[in-house]
Amino acid sequence: MALSSPKCPSSQFALRPSPAPRSQRVAAASSSLSCPPIPRRLFSKRVSSQSRANRRWNVASVHDAARTLPISPAKEIDLKKVENGVSSAISAEEYRDLAGLSTRENSTVSITVVGASGDLAKKKIFPALFALYYEDCLPEHFTIFGYARSKMTDTELRNMVSKTLTCRIDKRENCSEKMEQFLGRCFYHSGQYDSEENFAELDKEIKKHEAGRLSNRLFYLSIPPNIFMDVVKCASKSASSANGWTRVIVEKPFGQDSESSAALTRGLKQFLVEDQIFRIDHYLGKELVENLSVLRFSNLVFEPLWSRQYIRNVQLIFSEDFGTEGRGGYFDNYGIIRDIMQNHLLQMLALFAMETPISLDAEDIRNEKVKVLRSMKPLQLEDVVIGQYKSHTKGGFTYPAYTDDKTVPRDSLTPTFAAAVLFIDNARWDGVPFLMKAGKALHTRRTEIRVQFRHVPGNLYRSFGTDLDRATNELVIRVQPDEAIYLKINNKIPGLGMRLDRSNLNLLYAARYSKEIPDAYERLLLDAIEGERRLFIRSDELEAAWALFTPLLKELEEKRIAPELYPYGSRGPVGAHYLAAKHKIRWGDLSSEHYKI
Amino acid sequence: MVICFHSCDSVAFPTSSLQHERSLSRRRRWRWLTSAPHLPSGRQPTRGFQIKNSNGHPLNAASLQDGLAENLSAEESVEKRSKDGSKQNGSTVSITVVGASGDLAKKKIFPALFALFYEDCLPKHFTVFGYARSKLTDEELRNMISKTLTCRIDKRENCNDKMEQFLQRCFYQSGQYGSEENFVELDQKLREKEAGKLPNRLFYLSIPPNIFVDAVRCASHHASSPTGWTRVIVEKPFGRDSESSAELTRFLKQYLTEDQIFRIDHYLGKELVENLSVLRFSNLVFEPLWSRKYIRNVQLIFSEDFGTEGRGGYFDNYGIIRDIMQNHLLQILALFAMETPVSLDAEDIRNEKVKVLRSMRTLKLDDVVVGQYKGHTKGGKSYPAYTDDPTVPKCSLTPTFAAAALFIDNARWDDVPFLMKAGKALHTRRAEIRVQFRHVPGNLYKRNFGTDLDKATNELVIRVQPDEAIYLKINNKIPGLSMRLDRSNLNLLYSARYPREIPDAYERLLLDAIEGERRLFIRSDELDAAWALFTPVLKELEYKKIAPELYPYGSRGPVGAHYLAAKYNVRWGDLSSESS
Repeated sequence: MALSSPKCPSSQFALRPSPAPRSQRVAAASSSLSCPPIPRRLFSKRVSSQSRANRRWNVASVHDAARTLPISPAKEIDLKKVENGVSSAISAEEYRDLAGLSTRENSTVSITVVGASGDLAKKKIFPALFALYYEDCLPEHFTIFGYARSKMTDTELRNMVSKTLTCRIDKRENCSEKMEQFLGRCFYHSGQYDSEENFAELDKEIKKHEAGRLSNRLFYLSIPPNIFMDVVKCASKSASSANGWTRVIVEKPFGQDSESSAALTRGLKQFLVEDQIFRIDHYLGKELVENLSVLRFSNLVFEPLWSRQYIRNVQLIFSEDFGTEGRGGYFDNYGIIRDIMQNHLLQMLALFAMETPISLDAEDIRNEKVKVLRSMKPLQLEDVVIGQYKSHTKGGFTYPAYTDDKTVPRDSLTPTFAAAVLFIDNARWDGVPFLMKAGKALHTRRTEIRVQFRHVPGNLYRSFGTDLDRATNELVIRVQPDEAIYLKINNKIPGLGMRLDRSNLNLLYAARYSKEIPDAYERLLLDAIEGERRLFIRSDELEAAWALFTPLLKELEEKRIAPELYPYGSRGPVGAHYLAAKHKIRWGDLSSEHYKI
Repeated sequence: MVICFHSCDSVAFPTSSLQHERSLSRRRRWRWLTSAPHLPSGRQPTRGFQIKNSNGHPLNAASLQDGLAENLSAEESVEKRSKDGSKQNGSTVSITVVGASGDLAKKKIFPALFALFYEDCLPKHFTVFGYARSKLTDEELRNMISKTLTCRIDKRENCNDKMEQFLQRCFYQSGQYGSEENFVELDQKLREKEAGKLPNRLFYLSIPPNIFVDAVRCASHHASSPTGWTRVIVEKPFGRDSESSAELTRFLKQYLTEDQIFRIDHYLGKELVENLSVLRFSNLVFEPLWSRKYIRNVQLIFSEDFGTEGRGGYFDNYGIIRDIMQNHLLQILALFAMETPVSLDAEDIRNEKVKVLRSMRTLKLDDVVVGQYKGHTKGGKSYPAYTDDPTVPKCSLTPTFAAAALFIDNARWDDVPFLMKAGKALHTRRAEIRVQFRHVPGNLYKRNFGTDLDKATNELVIRVQPDEAIYLKINNKIPGLSMRLDRSNLNLLYSARYPREIPDAYERLLLDAIEGERRLFIRSDELDAAWALFTPVLKELEYKKIAPELYPYGSRGPVGAHYLAAKYNVRWGDLSSESS
């Protein structure tokens, strides 16, 4: 199969009906039946001019499928040129009307980054928007607004934004030109987060740029959680789109526990319907997390192994090699369990462990994820180990303790490390421990999923002295850095003797795919613009996730459980090993052989 | 786990115990055992089997117990070994290469023996004899041999010294293959070198099949070891069909017992064929998939990129089916498809292989495609047709290519096509096993992504040669914002993982024969079962004078192979565009 650089949506914008959640793919595949209630407005120029490989569908190969379907959307665009009706249920003309193609020149999307002067906005959101623009993934007509309290001119915003924009390494041409064009579409509006008047002013500004087109509006809330509600209220009351869609992207934290999260959700729902809320978990936008479902469901060789019959345990590991570095103020209120485990790792776990969904539609996938989460036992205190990094001097350099961070209280008990064992009480996973580990200021930066398989029953090679308890197969999906998938297998060391060795069946992405892998934010922003909700967290998912962690978090705080201290840059508290040992597991990432890879 | 290359420790030829000889081989294979294995008492020790020593490696055993094998330095173990040796300095092995001036002897057998010597795998005391009709002195033999000896690339030191030492142990005896007197002379020479030690003798018959039996008779009557073991390695062809093979076996058994006959199939000595069982039986992730439930078909592919090149005389009598399929490919198939053996002992493995072979449907003419290469001119260079070979009759119908579909009628493999393909003068040189898996049932990605799922199934490839590798083709997502699927490989390329040279198949097999490890040799009943599958179709091909489909030298073989595959809804994995 050819490796061709993925071209951006183009035609796809035309294909995807928006908020009818279940129907997106179906609609695309089976044409007009599930036409969007709101006319389509997001079209790129290319759609009208020619058919191109769309984003989700591989046009060339869809060709065959078209014969059996009433009409293939990709084909449909061809038809315009060909002027020749295939034996399809509806004509190209009709389809275009139904899909709202006739209005495509008249729609626009306005993306408002609320909290535009923040770190996330500068480092991730604007660069991701630019990357999408650079790849022709944004609709033809779009406007970007920065909104924040600071007084700034459009030019000042552009200067600020321009510092963090970069072009894809593999196609630097036209970079500055593109940047110029992009910045030309960026504007700034200053205002208070809770002022309806300010938002009304913003609305006017947006309208100006929309210039009468059908307006779609995306608000990216890159602001502290305590002002979420204010902004949502103001934006929804005074700056919603009058005739198009309005969507709001919300970043974590989504509350502190079940109650506060439920309160937040309730609050949001006063002003927004579920379909308008896009809770972002940027881990779900990572390439290998996306690939997890592909691996499971498009290969025969994995699914038969994907159960308690063959899998002994699953490990979800997140580590950072730096601490809070003077920015612990926010972190100290939350701790690593809320910051990483309850969302990123738990989401990966749910994707890993869910049953096969009915389809790849967002609602089908999220339904399965909720089922997994709801099948899990709430976490017990004895199944958790927490740690906090302490100062460490190495090679003449002293690394600070967590509590040395000026923004952190001296006596903080907030965990910067946690390990936990979770169980899923369903037929597939009963008794299989899911281990999670997350920590800051560890010896390495890494996110990975490790699947340890069971023993070979009645192993013929047991007499070769290999410690079969440790030499079981292991599938590793390394999410970052250096994306890779590898399967540890036993094989014979070449030579005249019979000695077994563990080696890897290996797929290193960097070696196989030379193109740069897009940042998770690009994927997620694009999905939000397109109304693809698969990678966003639904309210009931969030609720189920909190239900697992809330009792434990409360207990930790009530009992003032002191975290086990571990030196900055170390492998974390040894308690994690004892926790694993309790369930007869070894951490796959800390074995000696790991470092040879 | 550390990769460390263990020097050979086949050491223990010394004497003095009554232990069953199989323990010897176990010492090499089961080197991790901490105590002497309890051996199944399947067979009565015969003449040659009693003299073996059961003296394990106390040192190894001790250190391995703690998993400290790596701490044992090579020097230490060598020292220890020679100490053992001097204490029990009573046995010797004489290896007689019958047909010493032949090609195989020069290119494979002597170099393999030297490599074993170089790696300290041969017993401390050994002698190598060349036997052939030509008159040669010991010196002449040594000169001849020395031209083909090479040292391991990775440890060239002492190479000349070692070569000199090795050559000093090589001797020559000229004689007729059917002459009992000449073998008596050989026996005298052997005794001279054995110098009163307990003699073990290995004869390697590297001679044409028509004189097998003569040589065996003479050797057995006049040059057997009176007190130690005597073993005979026989090379293919083992007959032309069921009858001639049975006859050969009958003759051999007049002079030898089954345990003394070592039928060599050098494909079984290849590293990845050895590894096949390890893959299957020491990994959890493969065995659940190893059945008709998940495997759609299995392909065993052998191709050479050269023709007979003036040496078609022998080949023309046999053809590719007898030369490659009935032995090499069928043996690999049997190892691939057999049920889990009771243990890794030779008899247990061979029992399972026989079961597979006997469960197979006899091959039918409909399921075979034969081909023969014709002349081809490419880039100004002309490649000859098979029948251009002066040693081949102009009107020969001998196939130089064959493809066949076989079926195993047992619970595990019912209806799974096993496709075989073997050919000369093709576009590439390659031997591999390809396992194509079934569709993903109810594939979620079917509807939307237009991947041709019929072609995008998983595939496990075990490449035996060249560039030994194992890879599993999987579907994954092409990185990027789109959702496009791609097939990529989970890959293990041996040369990248194991920079050491992989020993030649002959080294392994010779060493096994010396150690009495029969796992990789073909038992008489296996051979019978193998011939039973192919004999009817071979006869029919000849009787009906089926003309082979011609294909150009250097091409991908006759297209008939594709139609054969299509008949069973299979696509050859090696000829798809992505496979190269």
